Amino acid sequence: MNLSLVDPFVLAQDCPEVITGRLRSGHSTSIRFSHRGDLLASGRHDGVAVIFDIETNGVARKLRGHTRQVQSLSWSTNDRYLLSAGQDWKCVLWDLKDGSRVRTVRFETAIFIAELHPKNNMVFVAALFEDQPVLVDMSADVPIKHTLPSAPRRSQIERENASEKQAAQDAKQTSTVTVFTPSGDHIIAGTNKGWLNIISTATRQVQYSTRFTNNIIVFVRLTPSGRDVVINSSDRIVRTLHLPDLSDPKLDFDTLQLEVEHKFQDLVNRLSWNHVSFSPSGEYVTASTWMNHHIYVWERGQGSLVKILEGTKEELSVVEWHPFRPFVAAIGVDSGRVWLWSILQPQRWSALAPDFVEVEENVEYIEREDEFDIQPLEEIHKRRLDQEDEEVDVLTVEPVKSATEYEAGDFRMPVLLDIEASDSEDEVVAIGAGQFRRKSPGTGREWMNDDELVASGDEARKALTNGTTATTQNGTKRRRGG
Amino acid sequence: MDGHRDSPPKRQRDDEDGYDEYPPRKRSSASLSPSSASPRYRIAERPAQRYSRADDSDDERKYYRSRSRPRSGSGSRSVIRRRSQSPSCTPTPPKPTTLDYKPTLILHGHKKGVASVKFSPDGRYIASCSADCTIKIWDAQTGKLEHTLEGHLAGVSAIAWSPDSKILASGSDDKTIRLWNISTGQPHPTPFLGHHNYVYSLAFSPKGNMLVSGSYDEALFVWDVRAARVMRSLPAHSDPVGGVDFVRDGTLIVSCANDGLIRVWDTATGQCLRTLVHEDNAPVTSVRFSPNGKYVLAWTLDSCLRLWNYIDGKGKCVKTYQGHENKKFSLSGAFGTYGGPPPYQYAFIASGSEDGDIVLWDVSSKNILQKLIGHTAPVLSVDTHPTEQLIVSGGLDRTVRIWRCKEDFAIQPQPQDDILRQLQVLAADGADA
Repeated sequence: MNLSLVDPFVLAQDCPEVITGRLRSGHSTSIRFSHRGDLLASGRHDGVAVIFDIETNGVARKLRGHTRQVQSLSWSTNDRYLLSAGQDWKCVLWDLKDGSRVRTVRFETAIFIAELHPKNNMVFVAALFEDQPVLVDMSADVPIKHTLPSAPRRSQIERENASEKQAAQDAKQTSTVTVFTPSGDHIIAGTNKGWLNIISTATRQVQYSTRFTNNIIVFVRLTPSGRDVVINSSDRIVRTLHLPDLSDPKLDFDTLQLEVEHKFQDLVNRLSWNHVSFSPSGEYVTASTWMNHHIYVWERGQGSLVKILEGTKEELSVVEWHPFRPFVAAIGVDSGRVWLWSILQPQRWSALAPDFVEVEENVEYIEREDEFDIQPLEEIHKRRLDQEDEEVDVLTVEPVKSATEYEAGDFRMPVLLDIEASDSEDEVVAIGAGQFRRKSPGTGREWMNDDELVASGDEARKALTNGTTATTQNGTKRRRGG
Repeated sequence: MDGHRDSPPKRQRDDEDGYDEYPPRKRSSASLSPSSASPRYRIAERPAQRYSRADDSDDERKYYRSRSRPRSGSGSRSVIRRRSQSPSCTPTPPKPTTLDYKPTLILHGHKKGVASVKFSPDGRYIASCSADCTIKIWDAQTGKLEHTLEGHLAGVSAIAWSPDSKILASGSDDKTIRLWNISTGQPHPTPFLGHHNYVYSLAFSPKGNMLVSGSYDEALFVWDVRAARVMRSLPAHSDPVGGVDFVRDGTLIVSCANDGLIRVWDTATGQCLRTLVHEDNAPVTSVRFSPNGKYVLAWTLDSCLRLWNYIDGKGKCVKTYQGHENKKFSLSGAFGTYGGPPPYQYAFIASGSEDGDIVLWDVSSKNILQKLIGHTAPVLSVDTHPTEQLIVSGGLDRTVRIWRCKEDFAIQPQPQDDILRQLQVLAADGADA
């Protein structure tokens, strides 16, 4: 509701400019914004997944279940569930209502990326290291893994003429990245040989394949509309392309021709790109640079570089764009901090008093004819009160459909008050008002000794329900602030 | 620096020697010139009440004493106008011109004046805070005392419910803000420390992740509720901050102060987006957003409530509500609805008054719909139930009173016995579980 009061020139800006903040909880390795944009999930080097509240820049929840670095994160469409993939070869589906683990799915190999189905949060697709990607159905207690093909779809002629060598090569191809389209009907997969496959979720068959590069496709990201794709590959080129409406039944995959719209690269410095992402509308493409401290922002209309976000003294890995604001978050590789870029809004002085006016140059004041006339106060008041005859409606809520606004039935993450779960500087614990001390090594890691059987990774909730009485869990007396 | 600091207009600190004699307030009366000012507001007396009922028992007369007041011409005018309109559009039921709230419960227990009463967002509980350093949680339907929250070292001026109704925040003259677990009645171990003076008003953000507090130290703090730390300090005012509120989507904060300013802030950036001042510059003691967030309602110490359109232009006062008395205390109130389902739903404003009444105004016509009479001392705080036709009030007579309006109030007056079903819940100190 603040939009009507904010300077329209500020609102017109759509590209972040300066560092406006940073978030810290341990050493972040992957981040992802929730769909509503009020939360940022961060996977840590020690396996803890942390949910940051973007409004308060504080930790909203900690999810403990992975024993190694968190590799990728994916939110369900209603923002209630979070899927995390760890380097401990596990995927965990978290319920943010109480911080419990809904499902844990193990794999025989490392996971590159795991993405939740946009319509069904019990289905996800994962790209695996040196293995074929899998579509996992977790609705039953025992997850069902369906293997997806990576070999590109060949036309009839190609198949007949295929040599044995090529067939063997196709069989050796693996997918390095898999993402759902927004409808969930298709999976876009990138392979280690540079092919882009469009796989039908229902039939689990490759429907269309195309090749833009001979190098590994590192990352693929779609806009929320699903009509634009950005591809990061190891040949140091970021490509964008338009997709047709894949759910259109009239679409013929046999005649489909995908063409690269833009190739973004730095020919001078020969930079390679760590991570790429779209702005919410797909208007801008951002990429973090390898061995460099910058984030490049290109706009897609002309394909030109419009901005380089800088200000950090470290290389940046994952860079993510807020779902609807000009707001970019990126992870510093060395410190593990999450850096935030946004727009600085200057204070408008005219807002500080009703008779302040912002003028470009001096204006000669012209006295009103009746400015110093003395009028009986009672008259003025009476007239004023009589003028207040307009109908006012204080009840009707205008249906502003912005993503920030919560509907009645929407999931809201409960607010936890436990300070142990809320400290944002991990090495430091608050022991009183404004007093902090360094945490003794090993504290807070008791969960690692927990058996896998503990269904809830969220001790905070238990502590909360136990009230303030000294809580003893697993034989260790928990330290509490204050 | 000024002498008036000595006797702040705390809602509850003055009733220590009995609430019927008030020590001098913070605003020196000279600055307000109440004696000379009051005639200007005489036109405020427009009790446009009209009771078509026939039964005329003594008790009824007691409750609707205001009927006997002389009706000023300006007050009845709008009533007549509406009357004349109604026959032309027969299918729409006429807008009610009176409300019929009746006393249901009187909750005793606080040992000093009650500074604030609030219904929980789920409507189950009433929280009341008092100068006796306690907060009491009552069942909204039965009036049963659920908890007495003790822990503050000084009187409690402000309370705010979290949106999930599980946590209550309280601000006290001991400069702290505390959170309370409603299911257990236990305080959260970490108090919110930071204010240098009395905490005066509180409001939770709609998501419950932020708390805004206004203090006598002239500052406005936005707190990260989870970490119990000040997230943002707003250089708000040059006088004690009287009231704060969050808009319904949490993007705006409104604050008001004794300097007469009402400021609207952007929650995300902490910048002032709008400043509203009435030309008389009367101290603003309490402020609230309208339910749809388009207007701001402000209580000022010139016995007026003003409804501001803060969006258009530079902000404009669209309505002035008068008829109550407010010269000394930080009164507060609430928006409520009456009439029926949404097409025929109208809004009213409920506010306490220093003469012990609770005044209900229609928002659009500014007519007084009802005066609830019962409190024997200034009514400092009034709140409306989120769904039902219930009003709760608390005042310096140390009672919390619940008032109920029959849904079909316009049709039939209720028999006597039902009206005076006054239960007295005497809460001994240790009575709560």
